[in-house]
Amino acid sequence: MTTTQHRAEAKAAVGKPEPRPTARDRGSRLLATLFLAPTVIGVLVFTVVPIVGSVVLSFFHWNVIDPPTFAGTDNYREAFTDDTVRVSFANTLIFMFFAVALQMLLALALALTLNNRLPGWLRSAFRSAFFFPLVLSAASISVVMKYLFNQEFGVINWLLGHVGIDPIPWLTSENSAMAAVVLVYVWQQFGFSFLLFIGGLNNIPKEIHEAASLDGATGIRKHLAVTLPLLSPTLLVASVVGIINALQVFEQPYVLTDGGPGDSTRTVVMVIYQSAFEQLRFGEASAVGVLLFALILAVTALQFRLSRRFVHYQ
Amino acid sequence: MTDSPHLPDRTFPRRTLLRYGGYGAGAAALAGTAASWDRLTGADIPGRDGDSLVVATLGSTFDPAAQRALREGFRKLHPDIKLRLLPIQATDWSDFFAKILTQIAAGTEPDLVYVATEGVQLFAQRLGVPLDGLVRRDADELREYFADVHPSLVESMMYEGSLYQLPVEFNAADMYLNSEVLKKAGAELPPPDWTRDDFTALLRDMKRTGGSHFTPYFWTNRLWGGVVPWLFANDTNILAESKAPGGDWLWDGFYPAAQRRGRGGGFRWRTPQATHERVEEVYDHLASLIQDRLCSRPEGGNGDNLVGVFSTGRVGVTPAGGFWAGGLHDAGMRRTEYDVQYFPRWRTQRHQFGAAGFALLRTSKKQDAAWEFIKYSVRKDVLAELFVANQTTPARRSMVQAARYAKTGPTNWQVFYDTLDKFPTTGPIPAPPQVAEVEQLLLKHTGTALADPRGVRPALRRLQGDLEKAMERDV
Repeated sequence: MTTTQHRAEAKAAVGKPEPRPTARDRGSRLLATLFLAPTVIGVLVFTVVPIVGSVVLSFFHWNVIDPPTFAGTDNYREAFTDDTVRVSFANTLIFMFFAVALQMLLALALALTLNNRLPGWLRSAFRSAFFFPLVLSAASISVVMKYLFNQEFGVINWLLGHVGIDPIPWLTSENSAMAAVVLVYVWQQFGFSFLLFIGGLNNIPKEIHEAASLDGATGIRKHLAVTLPLLSPTLLVASVVGIINALQVFEQPYVLTDGGPGDSTRTVVMVIYQSAFEQLRFGEASAVGVLLFALILAVTALQFRLSRRFVHYQ
Repeated sequence: MTDSPHLPDRTFPRRTLLRYGGYGAGAAALAGTAASWDRLTGADIPGRDGDSLVVATLGSTFDPAAQRALREGFRKLHPDIKLRLLPIQATDWSDFFAKILTQIAAGTEPDLVYVATEGVQLFAQRLGVPLDGLVRRDADELREYFADVHPSLVESMMYEGSLYQLPVEFNAADMYLNSEVLKKAGAELPPPDWTRDDFTALLRDMKRTGGSHFTPYFWTNRLWGGVVPWLFANDTNILAESKAPGGDWLWDGFYPAAQRRGRGGGFRWRTPQATHERVEEVYDHLASLIQDRLCSRPEGGNGDNLVGVFSTGRVGVTPAGGFWAGGLHDAGMRRTEYDVQYFPRWRTQRHQFGAAGFALLRTSKKQDAAWEFIKYSVRKDVLAELFVANQTTPARRSMVQAARYAKTGPTNWQVFYDTLDKFPTTGPIPAPPQVAEVEQLLLKHTGTALADPRGVRPALRRLQGDLEKAMERDV
C-alpha cells in the first residue's frame, strides 16, 4: 500500500468518533505502561529533574553553606563577561573539532583497512585491541599518560631523544598541551567509532560493491561513490555521539594539565566543576552548565538538519 | 513489511497475561523470602546507626592500622561515646573540602573534619566552632600540649582572634637533596645559611655532571611548595600579610613572653600584591632557572611522581616536608642516600608551612564529645600511633627525635622542627577563605608566567587583576 493511500484513509478517518477501547486494549496499555515505567521514572528522576534543578539554580547565588539568594540574570551576565568561561568555550570547541575529526578519520581508515582484508581471528584481535582503551577509566589512563608525556622523565621524550629530537614540553607549554590532551582522548575514544564503522561496513551488501566494480569503479572511487554514502547513517551516529562526548570532556584535561598552562586546556565542564565544587559558586556553575546544554542542543540539531542533505538511507 | 494500513495485533491474550502475572507473583515471593533472611546492612557497620561521633579525614591521612588505634584508644577512654571515622578519598585538600561541603549540602555532615591550613579560614569563617571557651575551661589539661607545640603552628589555626583547631601535624618546605647526585657533582650538603646564589651554583654543578636526562631542581606548581617558598624567602607574598588583633588570652595563658612576642589573632590575607617588585624578582629567578635548564617547567599535580624520579637520581633537589622521610623510605631509599637542609636564604630565610588538625562543625549536635576527641587527638601517645610511618611532621616538638628518623632518615632530621624554632617568622601558606580561587589563579598564572621569560610581567598583571576580583567576592 502506498503512502498516498495511507494519507487518504487517515483523512477519511478524521471526524469519526474514536472506537471505545476494549478490555484487551486497556490490559495491553497497562502492561506497556508497566514495562515503560522504570525507564520513564529513571529519566525523570535522573535527567529531567536535575536539568530543571540546574536551570532554577542558575538564577540563584548558592554556596552550599548559606541559603540560596535570588540572583536574577547575574550568573549569566557573569558567564558572558568572564574571560575564563569564554576561553573555556573556545577551548572546548577547538578540542571538539580536532578530537572528533581525528577520531572519525582514524576509525574510518582503520575500519576500511581491516574490513574483509584480514583473517577473522586477526580482525577480532584488532577490534578487541582498539576497543580496549574505551573500557578503561579515563582518569587512570590520564594518570599513566601524564607520566608518559612528562617533559623530563617521560617515555615519549626519551624515545624522541633517541632520534635526536629535543624534549617537548607536552603538558607544560601552551603550544602543545591541547594537542597532548586531544591525542590521549582520541586514543581512548576512537575504538567506539571504529566498532560502529565495522558494523556499518558489514551491513553494506556485497552486490552493490560488485555492481560498482562491474561499472569500472576501483579503490578510492568505489569508497567515495559507494561505501561512504551507504555508511553515512553510521557516520552521522558516530559524529553525533562523538561531538556530544567531546563537548563534555573533563577527565583528560583535569588529570593531565588541570586546565593549564594558563587556561589553554580548560574546558567548560572543568569550569563548571571548579566553580561549583572548589569555589562554592553553584549558581554560576549552573548557568555555565545551562549554556553548555544549549550549545550541545544547538550543535546536535544542526547536525540532524545537515544530515538530511548528506545522509543516504537505502 | 506488511502493506496493511493497520498495525499488527499486539494485544496479549488473557492466558499470556496470567502467565506473566504468575511469573511476577513468583518473583515477588522470592524477593520476600530473601528480604526475610538475616543479612548485613549499612547499619551493621560500627557507628553507622546515626548515634555516633563522625570524624571525617582525608583518606590517605591515616592508614588502617592508625585508624584502628585511634578508634580503639578513644573507645577505652570514652566507652560512652560511639566513634565513626570517615576517611574520604580525595586527590588533595581542595578536593577533600569539596566533598565535605557536598555532604553538608546533603545534610549528612560529620561532627569533626580534619582540616589543613588550606581550609582553616574557610571552615572557621563558615562552619567552625571557636575553641576559646573550651581551651580556657580545660587549660590545665592542655598546658603540656601547648608547651610542646610551636606558637607559629597554633597561630596558623586562629582566625580573627579565635582558635579553631589544635595542630596535630605540619610540614614546612625544606630542601631535599639526593646524596648520590651531590657526590657526583663534587658537592657537600649545603650549610644551613646557604643563599639563593649558592643554590643556583649547586644546580649548575649538578647539571654539568648529571647527564642529558637529569633535572637539577624539580618543583610542582601548587600552593604548598610551589612558588610560595621562594616568595617567603624573598620576604614577600602574593597577598599582603597582616595579623588580626586578639588571641592574648591564649598567648598569655600558655606561652612565655619570648615566644608570644608579635603573635596575634591569626593571619589576614586580604590585599593582592602580585605585581610587587619582589614577587616579580621571584618569577624572574624561576624563569631564569627554567631558561638555563636548571629546573623543570612547573607542572601541576601533587608531586606523587617526584618520589620515583628523586629516588632514582634523575632529580637532584626538590622542596618537601617531613612527610617525605616516610615517602622516600617506602620508595626504597636508604637514609644515607638523601638528606635535607633549610630552604636557601634570599632576603630572609623565612619558610612556609602547612598544618592540620580537627575542626569542630557548628552543625554538630555532639559538641562536648567532639571536644573530647580533639583533646584526645593531640595526646602524645595517640600521635605516636598515628605517625609511626613518618608520613608527616608531628606538631609536638618532643616527638621529633633521633629515634623517629633512625630507620628512615634523613640524617639532618633536626631541620624539620628547627625550621620553626630557628626562624620564628616562618608562617602558613596564604589561605584566606577564598583559598580555592586564590590557589587556582596562582597555579594558572604561574604556568603562563614561566612558559616564556617575557611572559612574567603580563601574567603577574593578570594574576593581580584576577586576585582583586576573587578577594572582593565573598565565599
